[in-house]
Amino acid sequence: MISTIVKQEWRLLQADRTLGAVVLLMGLLVGYSLYNGSAWVGFQRETLAGAEAEQSKRLAKLKQDLEDFEAGRKEPKGFQDPRSAGAIGGVTAAPHVAMPPAPLATLAIGQSDLYPYYFKLNPRSKQAILANDEIENPTNLLAGRFDLAFVLIYLFPLLILALGYNMVASEREQGTLLLALSQPVTMGQLVAGKVLLRGGLLLGLVVAFTLAGALVTGVDLGSGTVWLRLGLWIAMMTLYAGFWFGLAVLVNSWQSSSATNALTLAGCWLGLVLVAPSVANLLATSLYPVPSRVEMVQAMRRAGKEAQLKGSTLLAKYMEDHPELMPEGEKTQPDFASITYAVQMEVDKQVQPVLDQFDRQVTRQQEFADRFRFISPAILAQSAMNDLAGTSLGRYQHFSRQVDGFFEEWRAYFLPKIFQKTKLKAADLESFPRYSFREEEDAAITGRVGVVLAGMAAFSSVVLMVGFGRIKSARAAG
Amino acid sequence: MLQAIGLTKTYGTQTALHPLDLEVKPGEIFCLLGANGAGKTTTINLFLNFIEPSGGRALINGRDVAEYPLETKKEIAYIPEQVSLYRNLTGMENLEYFATLANGRELGRAKLMEYLREVDLPAGAEDRKVSGYSKGMRQKIVIAMAMAKQAKALLLDEPTSGLDPKASNEFSRLIGRLAGQGTAVLMATHDLFRAKEDGSRVGIMRQGKLRQVLNTDEFGHADLERIYLEHMHD
Repeated sequence: MISTIVKQEWRLLQADRTLGAVVLLMGLLVGYSLYNGSAWVGFQRETLAGAEAEQSKRLAKLKQDLEDFEAGRKEPKGFQDPRSAGAIGGVTAAPHVAMPPAPLATLAIGQSDLYPYYFKLNPRSKQAILANDEIENPTNLLAGRFDLAFVLIYLFPLLILALGYNMVASEREQGTLLLALSQPVTMGQLVAGKVLLRGGLLLGLVVAFTLAGALVTGVDLGSGTVWLRLGLWIAMMTLYAGFWFGLAVLVNSWQSSSATNALTLAGCWLGLVLVAPSVANLLATSLYPVPSRVEMVQAMRRAGKEAQLKGSTLLAKYMEDHPELMPEGEKTQPDFASITYAVQMEVDKQVQPVLDQFDRQVTRQQEFADRFRFISPAILAQSAMNDLAGTSLGRYQHFSRQVDGFFEEWRAYFLPKIFQKTKLKAADLESFPRYSFREEEDAAITGRVGVVLAGMAAFSSVVLMVGFGRIKSARAAG
Repeated sequence: MLQAIGLTKTYGTQTALHPLDLEVKPGEIFCLLGANGAGKTTTINLFLNFIEPSGGRALINGRDVAEYPLETKKEIAYIPEQVSLYRNLTGMENLEYFATLANGRELGRAKLMEYLREVDLPAGAEDRKVSGYSKGMRQKIVIAMAMAKQAKALLLDEPTSGLDPKASNEFSRLIGRLAGQGTAVLMATHDLFRAKEDGSRVGIMRQGKLRQVLNTDEFGHADLERIYLEHMHD
């Protein structure tokens, strides 16, 4: 019976221009969003390749210079000895630490344009590294980029609602509903057939466009991780589409006119897709405000100024605390590099409470957002898509922890050498700490996305069950 | 075939149909006459299970429609006042869909063409979009559906309103042919002439009550009009 209804729906959609318009519109939107995502990922890859090339060139030159100094072919010149650990660790060998785009990054730009994806490390202050961002227009960042996730979360529901708002109402209005229900068929079967065809069609289009887009934008479809993520992505889309179709069924069960249904569903879309995320954001930032950046900069400046004034005293105190760093056969001679690092560490100590407060508030905001996302399937879908595309805050924090670890490693390697005024040799280059990005474990992503999928499944099941429950008991006439 | 036993419908304090007892036998055409709001459409909707009865039972072939909605719908065909089909589809496509819904299987184009020929749909019209059909042509498609379904009972709600005399006459002929094959017909109508011409019996309804039932061979057209008006002016 349902197959007859599905076939009829297909026939009706074919006879109508709506289907062609939906496919075309969908194709254009998906195509443009993938182009945009691809352009952003391309820009990131290019930047990282440029940084890597610059670093290799710099290291090659450093190696050559050191070999020349050692062989006496060259004499060190200038304000700072180029063999010094300070110059090498902080400038000439300063490494780039990067988070390369994840395999599905072209599908959801997420927060990857908000958070830095590479840093140039030095052993001085971590803050100096983190503040060294690329300049971006904040209006663009606020608006976000037009990516596939945007199309699927914001516009896909509109297409579903365009195909679903009148699935019962139009039959009632054009008078075919009574004729259909005078046959041995239930209202539930009629609606199920319609939802199956329309949902299957839209979902099929989305899946086909997504896979084609992934292929075109160079996603490695031979990788198991990619398929796991794509599978979860499709599962999320199916549940998300189920929710919106369920809502359309529910609204149709009220037996109002097509126009009333359209207005009601538009209101739901507005509330769930636009208002709820804004309210969540507003509440998170109002309840847990982070200290302003100005406050942080001022704290750094104050601490810096005070520390500068007592630079030599600070260095002497530091050496008292760390006698093992004292250069052999010398008394504490306050040279520029040693004073700079001693001052910087004092600044770090002074600024740490502000940074801790910032981190605490960001964590609270995130915890609040994690709980609040369950008020809207749109927020849930966004959070899952960002995770699957590797553009979520979660992956950034994973990267940030690696940066922290490597920063400590780099510092631990160079600081003793700086204070001991060690002159480095070409052979030492091999012993420098090395950084390589470790991708998040699949299990970590599956765990985070699994929670979201469960929430989305709950949303969809409730709406579909209530919608179909009401439709089944709806009468053909008043 | 069609039987109402104390069938009642109320909306709040408003009674749309007072307890109705009625039986339409196979091959019989029973016409329900009455003004708007008399309860004719309510009666038909109750037999179709489109609305829930407030009391009593509507039986089709001995089965209560409220208890066996799907089974009883296999036995009946329905022609509403406004015959609405899918405008973007052809007559044949409409017939195919509803006939498949009714029978649970496809009957095939050749078989459906037989029914369309039986109802005298103009040649070639079956492959034209329904949006270009007259009401008479749309009705023929629906009658072909009833034939394809091999319905044992036919429920008609004001079927001849808006039809020209020729189309109306043609419609009566088709309904007569179905009744001749043993189909029980319950027809709600305002058309006294058609009721007398086509019906075996006529029931006059007013304000939700069946006031009188008459055998059509026991009176003439003028008598029917007089009796009807007497009930309307009570």
